Amino acid sequence: MIGAMRDWADRFLGRGSAAVTVPPLDGALKPNTRLDEAPKGIDADEPDDMVVVHGNTYCSAGNRLLQVDENGGATAVFDAPGTITALAASPEGKIAVASEPGGIHLVNGDGSAIAVAGEHDWQCITAMAFVDDATLLICVGSTRHGIGEWQRDLLSSGKSGEIWTLDTGTGKAARIAGGLAYPNGVVIEADGNIVISESWAKHLVRLTPAGKLVGQVMEDLPGYPARISRNARGGYWLSLFAPRSQLIEFVLREPQYRKAMMAEVAPEFWIAPALRSGLSFHEPMQGGALKQMGILKPWAPTRSYGLVIELTPDFEPVRSLHSRAGGKRHGITATVENGNWLWLASKGGNEIVAIELMRQGA
Amino acid sequence: MASASNLTKLRYRFIPDHVIGEILSKKWIDNAIPFLVLVCVVLIFGSLIPNFYSGSNLSITARQFGEFGLVGIAMMVVIVVGGIDLSVGSNFALGNFMMLALLNLGDWPVELAAPAVILICGSVGLLNGFLIGYLRLRAFLTTLVTLIIVRAVVDMLLLRYAQAMSVSFYESPLWDLMGLGGFFGIPFSFVVLVIVSVVGHILLTRSRPGWRMMAIGGSRRSAHNIGLSVRGTICAAYTISGMLCGLAGVLYASRLSGAGTDTGMGLEIAALTAAVLGGNSLGGGRGSIVKALIGALVVLLMTNGVLRLGLNSGSGPMVLGLTLIFAVFVDVKWLKNRDKLLSKVYVSPTYIELPKPVSTAQADNTALSVNDRLNDVEIIGLGEVESPEDVILDDDDHLYCGTRHGDIVRFLAPDYKQSEVFAHIGGAPLGMSWDKDRNLLVCVGGMGLYKIAQDRTVTKVTDETNRSTFSVVDDSRLRLADDLDIAPDGRVFFSEATVRYEMHDWPVDALESRGNGRIICYDPKTDKTHTAVRNLIFPNGICTSQDGQSILFAESWACRISRYYFDGPKAGQVEPVLDRLPGYPDNINRASDGTYWAAIMGMRSPALDVALQMPGFRKRMARRIAPDQWLYPNLNVGCVIRFNDKGEILESLWDQHSQNHPMITSMREHKGYLYLGGITNNRIGRIRLPDRDTSWSGYQNYWGQNS
Repeated sequence: MIGAMRDWADRFLGRGSAAVTVPPLDGALKPNTRLDEAPKGIDADEPDDMVVVHGNTYCSAGNRLLQVDENGGATAVFDAPGTITALAASPEGKIAVASEPGGIHLVNGDGSAIAVAGEHDWQCITAMAFVDDATLLICVGSTRHGIGEWQRDLLSSGKSGEIWTLDTGTGKAARIAGGLAYPNGVVIEADGNIVISESWAKHLVRLTPAGKLVGQVMEDLPGYPARISRNARGGYWLSLFAPRSQLIEFVLREPQYRKAMMAEVAPEFWIAPALRSGLSFHEPMQGGALKQMGILKPWAPTRSYGLVIELTPDFEPVRSLHSRAGGKRHGITATVENGNWLWLASKGGNEIVAIELMRQGA
Repeated sequence: MASASNLTKLRYRFIPDHVIGEILSKKWIDNAIPFLVLVCVVLIFGSLIPNFYSGSNLSITARQFGEFGLVGIAMMVVIVVGGIDLSVGSNFALGNFMMLALLNLGDWPVELAAPAVILICGSVGLLNGFLIGYLRLRAFLTTLVTLIIVRAVVDMLLLRYAQAMSVSFYESPLWDLMGLGGFFGIPFSFVVLVIVSVVGHILLTRSRPGWRMMAIGGSRRSAHNIGLSVRGTICAAYTISGMLCGLAGVLYASRLSGAGTDTGMGLEIAALTAAVLGGNSLGGGRGSIVKALIGALVVLLMTNGVLRLGLNSGSGPMVLGLTLIFAVFVDVKWLKNRDKLLSKVYVSPTYIELPKPVSTAQADNTALSVNDRLNDVEIIGLGEVESPEDVILDDDDHLYCGTRHGDIVRFLAPDYKQSEVFAHIGGAPLGMSWDKDRNLLVCVGGMGLYKIAQDRTVTKVTDETNRSTFSVVDDSRLRLADDLDIAPDGRVFFSEATVRYEMHDWPVDALESRGNGRIICYDPKTDKTHTAVRNLIFPNGICTSQDGQSILFAESWACRISRYYFDGPKAGQVEPVLDRLPGYPDNINRASDGTYWAAIMGMRSPALDVALQMPGFRKRMARRIAPDQWLYPNLNVGCVIRFNDKGEILESLWDQHSQNHPMITSMREHKGYLYLGGITNNRIGRIRLPDRDTSWSGYQNYWGQNS
């Protein structure tokens, strides 16, 4: 009762839980332009997820699974029946490809693939990881909206995400966690615990192998987290596909406006995080983005941003690479490290970027 | 949401919630808390004590108030200047004694004795003022010493003359009038107080000596630095305080005709309490007659009330002390938070439903379709001028523009590579026009309407207009004179974009989208300015139409262009010309073929259009997130359109990727070229217009032989 009254007072005055605050980009997250300074990458149509198998880098773009190398070459390895939405690499060297429609396929190095007949038919698979050679962990972002309607899921306060385990041999599937706010990335820690990124909650949580919630690993991120991948030093690379901004946080607390906006405005012009922005003058603009003397300030409020963070094994940020307001490489959905090269899938910039780690001292 | 209930529409149409913010922004709102305390005291004591406000009681209270109010004002005058006067009580007792002595022992007439007593007490004040103002002694100690010395003098005099005075008796009709009578039932001392208050208020708030006193109290060091005579003013303040105490003593003597040793004891504490209770700041610089009177009235009512209630002898001061603490606490909190409250409450967005915009899609291939016609602009003055909101050319083809530094910069023909500062006005020069004598008339944001003659002398044309009767905001001043144009008979019509905000707060006016603006007319023949059209939504561009009987004006946030007739059969009417614009129109100027150019400074975005129908959403947004995070009209992409008198759009030119011209605020056609200006830009653009009259110029079109 007291809690309810306090909540009501908070909402009326705009303080406490209703306060619109966004964590600043500071310390290891201090903005830079390393993503924009990176050399020209490989043009692709909405590259989404990436894996490294036996020293080769693979990236999914649209329907195709591409093998990419640092000289700019990209060869198609597999054509899925639908848009590829997630990839995972098994310890043996197979790649699990989830496509919508089409389900899950296991692709070998030579390009041959077998469909995995699962008991269940999943929609909106956002990330996958192999626990061991036969068991696949599947993240379903939302059971109410499709993979292309993620903005609608955010604006409807979606909390219908699930985690499933699938035995690729027998096809048996089991749901181990549910009610999650859009799980968008998964990584298995050394001790078997599962760390997933919950995008709409802007944090990373740890689950036991059985799916029980242990606790938050990283909280109050300055952006919406996407895929997590391991790096060679025992730590992780975390991609954030969109930034947080005060206006979007405020709109998330205004149900009446959200309803009207979703009913009357086209989705690409919503006040919502986006993978790319600035293309049309019908997009919503915030005050700080007004060009003064011909310059768009790099710190201007923006609906899209490029941000990749390197984390220690304890999930502490060490360094980050940014593409700031007005930049081209926004909407980074996946990052993998292969030897000396860091590969990023810039879904907003339609580009697969490769950055040399050692030479640039990045 | 298009069915936003009629209730919402009616509520935002008829309930003027912007008035709350405007009232809070007034200077006299500081008196609100003390006034509330006064009302509470009046009500409480009125209910506790029967007949507290009966006729005879009121008369006595009014008489007492007349005297105590004067002492309160005396204390306020000294406090406002940054000092304190603890000797008011003793001075008051001296005045009382001297009046009675002069009348009874000296046989002076009242008309001579009263001024003499005032002078005597004034000289005590002068002594205080000399010691504190000129010799720079500490006010507290000095007036404390004066208190003791004057009290001692009064005691000695009483010892000597009290008996002689008590046996004599002075009588005169004037004396009776002063002590017992009044005018039309209002006691004499109360009338004196009212006169002194009115005169004092006018002097303190509307005269130079009064302003200087407030300035010295506010910051003595700064006042000294700008050359005010600090010492003299402080001395004068103490002298005035003394004189007012003398006047109070005279009135007291007329009422009671008795001098005792305890006359005026503790009066300085009561006066100090009254001053602080009323809201005068003890540090100086903040105070007014009204505050002093409110405080004095509260103290008087409480003292009298407690006395009538028959409480123990200590309760009076106790109650007074508690009230003082409470009032000071609330007042301090109010003073600290008033500006914060005002900034949250002032912004009052309203409901506005914009019609569906005309399509700009390239696929539709209409005159308004997006194109790349401004990709090949020539750039003039890149980096040399900042914020050239409007551009204009004279008959020698020299190009003039305003800059945000307050200069009018002239680029020399024919290549516009050399520039010079033509004149410096200050403020932010916005719209410009040539009048018949080739003077350049400029609307200067933050200042008003100015004129630059051919010899570069700057004169002010007008910076005020008639005040609306029912407007809380003082709209006789011009805050944001935006664009102007001149009628054939020389009358100047110019727009004032908003009366509620200053120039740099224009985005807040966009958030409000209220009818805050107006069109004003200046008539050079009579040198008078009056408001022609009111309640317009950010009126911006003004252009005299080719028929010379009306002006076209743009309402930016309403996305429309309308026509106001100032002559002819339809004089005084407003009719729409162009509606459903997909963007926000800015300046309008004539084109060479009888049509008009309009600058569209930004484009409408659907998310903002939905928000315009939800004022509560915008209000919460204004309060909860920082201004640079607000949802803005998209002013990064704009275009220039050409339209005719019937309201048909004939062509448009876009810089759709905003490479050179993000926010186009003005365009001017001149001899076959179109010149572009932008208020957030640091360059002027020029583009060749094919198939247009290469000999056409604005001045010739307005004032040449063939017009």
